Amino acid sequence: MDYIDQLEYTNYYHIADLIIRMACFGETLKRQGRPYLMDKPAPADITITLPPEKLKLLQEKYPHLTLNDVEYIQTGFAFSRALLEFDGFCLHASAVALNNRAVLFSAPCGTGKSTHAGLWQKHFGADKALILNDDKPALRLLDDTFYVYGTPWSGKTDLSLNLKVPLQTIVFLEQAQENSIRRLNNKEGVQWLVYQSLRPVGDRNKMNRLLILLDNLLKKFPVYHLGCTVSTQGVDLVYRTINKERNG
Amino acid sequence: MKIKDGYLMREVAGTHVVVPVGATVDFSGMITLNETGAFLWKELLQDTTEEKLLAALLEEYEIESDTGKRDIAEFLARLKAADLLE
Repeated sequence: MDYIDQLEYTNYYHIADLIIRMACFGETLKRQGRPYLMDKPAPADITITLPPEKLKLLQEKYPHLTLNDVEYIQTGFAFSRALLEFDGFCLHASAVALNNRAVLFSAPCGTGKSTHAGLWQKHFGADKALILNDDKPALRLLDDTFYVYGTPWSGKTDLSLNLKVPLQTIVFLEQAQENSIRRLNNKEGVQWLVYQSLRPVGDRNKMNRLLILLDNLLKKFPVYHLGCTVSTQGVDLVYRTINKERNG
Repeated sequence: MKIKDGYLMREVAGTHVVVPVGATVDFSGMITLNETGAFLWKELLQDTTEEKLLAALLEEYEIESDTGKRDIAEFLARLKAADLLE
């Protein structure tokens, strides 16, 4: 029997159409994982083990974080690395689903991607614009298209929904004096995507897989840059732009 | 001279990108290369010299020797600045 199956807290989760076996100790991971919990064990695609000893060692490196936080953050990293073996990756983004299509707002921390996703909810109604994940949604290439999934790892706001929605586009955000949007060329697109993806540090094979996925994504989907203020005008601008190009 | 270990170069949607993959690499960004840069990068995966690079470049592309020399010098300077050569 594996180490992890001897643990009282080992659970099975269904995340991004994969079965994840994971031991959870901390409150945050347990709470965030609840919507993804399976009723009974099943053959796992991914096993995430973070034994208490290792957790403590990691916390010594980041003393400003609690053990609970370290577990939540590190299991998220472990998931994003493992996902690369299943044609998927995680992107720093806030993912909004509207009319069953996912728009991802991606940016470095502190730019306001959650704020912008919140503006979409305000504009379209929280019952129509759903936040799939507010920090690190999962993307998977299945049947020649990309799907966006909620995951338990959604940063500070804890917003996540256990849903699978086809990708519409990715919008990279930068704060600006006024709102403007433009489609990125492939070179700009790959730069933004590489910087905002959760990269498998130190793993050549997985990094190669990530680049293949990004290549695929850029060939199938337009990606945009939005210079934005905090206003609903920005919402309207994005909505009109991404839907005009799709239909036109 | 050659490219240090711990980097991966790959074409992504028409752009050649270089990303670090080594555990000990202290460079966390990425570099984009044009077609000539990507060609020279591949040549530099094995130990080589400026003369050999020039010969390879002139064989691959129809360019003047002086242009090739200048391209190589610029490219090597860029790699040195990023500390990618050994």
